[in-house]
Amino acid sequence: MKELFDKQVALLKDYHFLILYWIAKAESLHLRYNITNVYDDLKHLKITRTKQNAVAYIESLTTLCFISMVEEHNRKNLYITNYGAKALELLYSQNIYSIKPSNFLEG
Amino acid sequence: MSVGVGGAGSKLASLLDEGHATIVDVSGVELEKVEAISKIRAVAHSSKAQLKGSRKDPQIGREAFQSIKNKALDMIKGQTVFCSTGGGTGNGLCSVMLEHLSGMESISVTEKTMFAFVVPYAQRESSDFVDNTISFLEGPVSKAIDAGNTGNLIIFSNKVKFEQRIPEKTYNTMIIESLNHFLSIPIKGEELKQLDGNIDYEDFCLYKTKPYFNHFCQFDYNQNLPFGKQLKANFNELLLEPEGSIEALFLLELPNADLTNSFYSILDYFSEEDVSPMYSVLYNPDLKKPLITVSLLYSRKPLELVDDFNAISGKHKRNRVKKSLDQYVTLSKLEVDLANEAEKVWKESHTEGDEVLNVLKRIGKL
Repeated sequence: MKELFDKQVALLKDYHFLILYWIAKAESLHLRYNITNVYDDLKHLKITRTKQNAVAYIESLTTLCFISMVEEHNRKNLYITNYGAKALELLYSQNIYSIKPSNFLEG
Repeated sequence: MSVGVGGAGSKLASLLDEGHATIVDVSGVELEKVEAISKIRAVAHSSKAQLKGSRKDPQIGREAFQSIKNKALDMIKGQTVFCSTGGGTGNGLCSVMLEHLSGMESISVTEKTMFAFVVPYAQRESSDFVDNTISFLEGPVSKAIDAGNTGNLIIFSNKVKFEQRIPEKTYNTMIIESLNHFLSIPIKGEELKQLDGNIDYEDFCLYKTKPYFNHFCQFDYNQNLPFGKQLKANFNELLLEPEGSIEALFLLELPNADLTNSFYSILDYFSEEDVSPMYSVLYNPDLKKPLITVSLLYSRKPLELVDDFNAISGKHKRNRVKKSLDQYVTLSKLEVDLANEAEKVWKESHTEGDEVLNVLKRIGKL
């Protein structure tokens, strides 16, 4: 299992890392963070220009069980799972990607 | 005729032969400064060497030797070569000459070359001079002694020059005067009336071709005092002190022919030392007291000389390093805990990462 987890984390890109971080940060600030917010932040950082890409990134993280998507008041809010937290911690410890501020959370 | 190699060697050769010496240098400017009958410029690959000389670098002298190789090896046959061991030209050129002579199977007696070296006074002169001298003594001189293909090796030291603060020109004259005392032995034999023994030109030339260090001195001889004590007290200050002699030669000049028998006590001294000297006793009416000129041939390992130089050179280098540290750098004692420092550096480079961990801890997902 550990081997599979490491492989999964190794395949994550910088946008996955940022999404995980922003989701965790929003949760720590007791804010709801949804797919639209992810798309806006990635667009703001010029990482992607299309919502399809943002959705694809989120779906891959959801499939890996690193985040969960919860329908609340007609909004698909995102929450980090325990696996996602471990994945974020591992990525951070590898010092490959650096964090960037979310325009929604800090702008 | 003598051959002067490099700046210092040229000056000495010119003094000995009163302008009729052959001098060799890499610098045209240096050659112009000295009067000589024949001036040879060894060409160094560096164009600057023509004006600046070899700048204390014996390698430049060694490279320049190739341009005069055949001429140089031919002209030193049977001559006296002067050079200083501290500089670049004399040291470099003479090193190759000595190495070449060492590599030859045998050299006829008439073609053997006498070498006169001037070594620096390590306590006052530049450490570059001392270092060059160490490599010179350890390498070419050591090989030459083993091979035995040179004539006498005479080592003058600059010690007295620096201790007694003597100007260079005066000191060079002192060296040449002292050498002339030795070289004039056969001339006096021809000019003065002979009382006992004989040293003719042939004997003297044969003596000069023996591959040992030569120490010579001249002093007033008192036949009532032991010769050994007088000799020790009158060693030539310009030369390195001799060790036990292998061969010897002396010329005793007497103002009164009645004193002729006084040379027997000198022979007694040498007999105790197991040396059978060549000698000549002459009548010299111009003198007031008996005058003796003695030459001792001794074999001293150059490595012992090198040890002396090494000790002083090492001390100089340590002092120089200490001085430059004192002058430019103030080093305070720094106590470093490597574990703490590593943690600090890690934390500094992970300040933003800490935020990630804090966020995860806050939401209780770790």
